[in-house]
Amino acid sequence: MKKKLLNMVAISLMLVLAAGTVFGAGTKEAEKETTVNMFQLKVEIKDAIDEYAATYSAATPGVTVKVETLGGGADYGGALKAKAQAGQMPDIFVIEGRGGYDIWKDYIADLSDQSWVADTDLAFKVDGKVYGFPVAIEGYGLAYNADILAKAGIDPAKLTTRAAYEQAFKTLEAKKAELGIDAPVAMAASVAGGMWWVAAQHNLACYWGGGLDFNDTSIIDMALQGKLDDERFLQYAKYLQLLFKYADQKILLNGSYDDQVGAFAQGKTAFLHQGNWVDPNLKQLGVTFPIGYAPHAFLDTEQTGLYLFAPSWYCVNEKSPNAEAAKAFLTAMATTAEGHDYMVNKAGMIPAFKSVKLQPAGQLSQALMAANAKGGNYGVFFGMLPDGAGQNVFGPIFDLFAQNQNNLNQFIADMKKAVANLPNM
Amino acid sequence: MQDLTGERTPMKKNSTVNIVFLAPCVLTFIMIIIIPFFFGLYYSVTDWNGVSDDVAFVGLKNFRGLASSPDFIYSFLITIAYTLINIVFINIVSFILSLIVTSKIRRRNFYRSGFFVPYLIGGIVLGYIWQFILNNILVKIGTTYSIAFLETSFLSMPNTVIWTMAVVNTWQYAGYIMLIFVAAIQSIPSSLMEAANVDGANYFHRVIHILIPMMANAFTISIFLTLTTSFKQFDMNMTLTNGGPATRFMDAPVKASQLLAMNIFNTATANRMAEAQAKAVVLFIALLIVSLIQVSVNKKKEVEM
Repeated sequence: MKKKLLNMVAISLMLVLAAGTVFGAGTKEAEKETTVNMFQLKVEIKDAIDEYAATYSAATPGVTVKVETLGGGADYGGALKAKAQAGQMPDIFVIEGRGGYDIWKDYIADLSDQSWVADTDLAFKVDGKVYGFPVAIEGYGLAYNADILAKAGIDPAKLTTRAAYEQAFKTLEAKKAELGIDAPVAMAASVAGGMWWVAAQHNLACYWGGGLDFNDTSIIDMALQGKLDDERFLQYAKYLQLLFKYADQKILLNGSYDDQVGAFAQGKTAFLHQGNWVDPNLKQLGVTFPIGYAPHAFLDTEQTGLYLFAPSWYCVNEKSPNAEAAKAFLTAMATTAEGHDYMVNKAGMIPAFKSVKLQPAGQLSQALMAANAKGGNYGVFFGMLPDGAGQNVFGPIFDLFAQNQNNLNQFIADMKKAVANLPNM
Repeated sequence: MQDLTGERTPMKKNSTVNIVFLAPCVLTFIMIIIIPFFFGLYYSVTDWNGVSDDVAFVGLKNFRGLASSPDFIYSFLITIAYTLINIVFINIVSFILSLIVTSKIRRRNFYRSGFFVPYLIGGIVLGYIWQFILNNILVKIGTTYSIAFLETSFLSMPNTVIWTMAVVNTWQYAGYIMLIFVAAIQSIPSSLMEAANVDGANYFHRVIHILIPMMANAFTISIFLTLTTSFKQFDMNMTLTNGGPATRFMDAPVKASQLLAMNIFNTATANRMAEAQAKAVVLFIALLIVSLIQVSVNKKKEVEM
């Protein structure tokens, strides 16, 4: 009996000890576990990136990536500031251009030594150093409904000068009833509809970068010093006037994003002034007609390129102890097959990395990818403008021009004045 | 037991209880109102961008810039105009409504709650609903039946857009002010009205000479409420018009319906925090002065029972 009791005591002691080591080891490993917090703003890729982060965390021992997504249209900058003030600065966050860089530069880590840098043209650089990982390529031209153009006898490949556009718009306008369209173009410019960015950001970017070399910033550099190129701007203003005149006026002056994209999707307009981000919307609206991109050819001379840019970049928080794990996560996204699959197939984005061979599903994205492979595209530089210049300064000017489309000189004078004030912003 | 029945101890106990019950509220109030308020005053004289730790003192530079910025002056002026329109619209409409629902008409309780319901809809939702009505439904009616003045949306007319906003705001807010008026009307002794009736005063005279003077304190409250809420209007402004359309002011294109609060918001989201803060301080001072004047003027007109 006594022996039995002793035995039992000994066994239970051993069990306790064993359990102790097992649990002890457990706690030790948990201490090593790093959690990389990511805070991003593209609500349309939320599910895809959550899934990719979970897969990555499962495949990478000791690292868990948590992604927080801020809902569409919410104030990302404000939310990030609140996090920084609360001492919860994420390890990976998003900037949208020079303005964001200037604010967060104390936090942004130098990524020049990362392996993906050589694989992209669109990394965010300041003074030759790489600070941002390009989230995707986005881009735009003037999207067209190929069926309508074919019916009207217009060859989209010939839309490479302003004169050609004027001719095409006139033809469409004359055949409106026959083609069943409301207007040739779905264009939006209204402050009221929240669509100032289509005109005052994306269309104006044609003036900043159109017809120039991809990295040629001479025109916007000049503007940042307060000057417009009069000759070039006049040509641009005439092109904008053309778009306004042949646009569906209700959408132009008051329409929302849904109104604009919806009109094109229902075949009520032949052209749509939007980028490849409308692909999912068009799919949702059941679009079956073939779509392509024509260039925004505003010059008297020929222009054939589309406008390509990285709308935002991931930055790594230099002050975080998890900076290395965060960098590894981004590198994996850019260099592994799973990362490529996530970017192209799951998130439906066009990756900014040349080594990616997968094809996106949307028609406009495919058109952009083809243009990117062909080359001869133009850079988009509105991100270099001071914060608020687009929304608070150019937005009302374009809105007013849309209301008074014949007043070209007033528009040019307003823009001249606004640009002259850019250095003070 | 003695503690509870003794004369001094309950006083003591009460004061500790008071402190314990008040402390959470007072603390929160200090933390989220008082301290940020003084921080705000401080940041308005700096060049703070919302993130950076090195904050430089720039004196009144932010305030001087406002005096020459067309968009701010315009926002300030239309905010005043909008407030005046709103005070008149809301008070007249809700006074009429309150007369209706305190009269002897049938289903007056139904009307009372019916008029109040719009106030329960949040400003954001309400803005989107009215935007749809004004931009789509009315325009559709206008184009279908060729009614000229309905063919363009009321929201795309720079000169009248704040009137449209005031109408929408009245639709929302009148029911709430109506309740205040109803309470005031019901507290007037019916003997006064009956006496006037016996003396041969008609309904109109009774309203002008008895009802309105007797409910002057309700007007003090209602005008104060409409004044301050209109001055601070933001949510409905944001969703209904987003500040648009553009118009020309002081030879610069500005947003025709961008009220002061939205102007501050747009400045802040453009990372010009210190400048936005300076604008907020101006709004605060303006609101303080105007409402103090209003209350003191109105108080003089109140009739003591």
